[in-house]
Amino acid sequence: MLCQNCGNAEATTHIKRIVNGEASQIHLCYNCAEHLGYANMFSGFGFNISNMLANFFPEFTRALPSVDISERCPTCGTSFEEVVRSGMMGCADCYSVFYDKLKPSLSRIHGRATHVGKSGAFEVAPVESPKFEDTISKLKSDLQAAVDVQNFELAAKLRDEINALEGGTDNG
Amino acid sequence: MAKWYQLQGAENDVVISTKVAIARNVKGYNFTVRLTDDEKYEIADKIDEILDGKLPGKFVSTPMVEVGRDLQISLAERNLVSPEFVSFSEGRTLVTTEDESLSIMVCEEDHLKIQSLLPGLELEKAYELADTLDTILDEDLQFSFDKKLGYLTQCPTNIGTAMRASVTLQLPALSMRGQIPRLANTVAKLGLILSGAYGEADNPIGSLFQLSNQVTLGISEQAAIENLKSISLSIVEQERAQRIELMNSLKFQDVLWRSYGTLKNARVISFGEFMESMAVVKVGVAAGEIAIKNERLNELIFTMQPATLNVEYGQSLDRQVRDAKRAEKIREVFE
Repeated sequence: MLCQNCGNAEATTHIKRIVNGEASQIHLCYNCAEHLGYANMFSGFGFNISNMLANFFPEFTRALPSVDISERCPTCGTSFEEVVRSGMMGCADCYSVFYDKLKPSLSRIHGRATHVGKSGAFEVAPVESPKFEDTISKLKSDLQAAVDVQNFELAAKLRDEINALEGGTDNG
Repeated sequence: MAKWYQLQGAENDVVISTKVAIARNVKGYNFTVRLTDDEKYEIADKIDEILDGKLPGKFVSTPMVEVGRDLQISLAERNLVSPEFVSFSEGRTLVTTEDESLSIMVCEEDHLKIQSLLPGLELEKAYELADTLDTILDEDLQFSFDKKLGYLTQCPTNIGTAMRASVTLQLPALSMRGQIPRLANTVAKLGLILSGAYGEADNPIGSLFQLSNQVTLGISEQAAIENLKSISLSIVEQERAQRIELMNSLKFQDVLWRSYGTLKNARVISFGEFMESMAVVKVGVAAGEIAIKNERLNELIFTMQPATLNVEYGQSLDRQVRDAKRAEKIREVFE
């Protein structure tokens, strides 16, 4: 494929973007990518611009000294640096191990979306454990729903659960 | 047994084929970049074992190292595998039904790419085929899945449903009218990508385009397919309207009948020239002026490609010999 900017050279940099729900893909040659500023995001680490998949992780190539990119996944041994450089995860567990670091890149690729659709039979360790506040608010809305349909038995059970959880925080 | 591309499909005056591909990774194995060839074959063996038990006789499993170069390229020409899949053979296995409508690329980018191919616009049916196979395999293989991120894939761009659905459209009239850039722009706003199937992105060989979904996270399989289907149908309508318009032009009529003459009479023809002429002839077929069934023309898109012709004749043909064989086959259709 030829570069979409100059139309002369082979495109070696491929950038996918979703901005405000609009998906687009840009294919650029080395020179145009550099000229248009797409090379800059790699300047901090000296990564190879032609490595197309690394384009998904500009956050880490834009020099963030506070982020430890040498951390390794205990399952497959892949370091986060390798993930950034190749654009590839080493195994399914890498997603939970590196989740906090991945978050900005994931939301840039996918927006703030979470999965809807088919569910698999097997679940890996969740990338994000459900937050305490979310659990309480879910129980409270379930309680309201139970009261609305006059299912008082369920409502009583839910109220006890909420009390137990909220009591737990007070004591703990 | 007939291959899927020899059959008739819906809207096949414009839509050549439908493909649904689902990426999956097996629990307990690293992703493909971190697997040895032995581990890759181990995954293929597990798939074979499950399919032999649950769907005996339906699938054939072939390690790519046992496949000759012409056949490998032919598989890619017929969209059964990606060009990447045949860029090297070690560790890779193709599992497929005899008619090639349902297949699994083992250890391409992800452990499994379950793929269904059907003629014409058949998105629901293609998804159902791939989905059923996915469910059967998931029971035993257990695919890596996270509630929040969906199916986990080697490349983070594919997480979620990990499904790519695409339709191949032949758009000679919209291309001649210069409507493709506008169309590509519009579909991009709707989360889809329109790109050339062979050759240049904006001006592909034979006006063959691929329309596919881009978003995999936050949209269900059904919603993605419904979206792709409704936009495909709208493009089909636009193409049909433009074809009718074109037939009013004497200049186009001249191009049409010359193209028809080429296909009916040529003694030597390249794949590119065949595709260009065939795309134009499609407009005449739509107008009822040329009596050839669309499925017979569509089938030629797959069977007339160079490596596929080599495979049919059992040898790597000299280019000129191959162009002559191609012309002969096309004349048979136009008799």
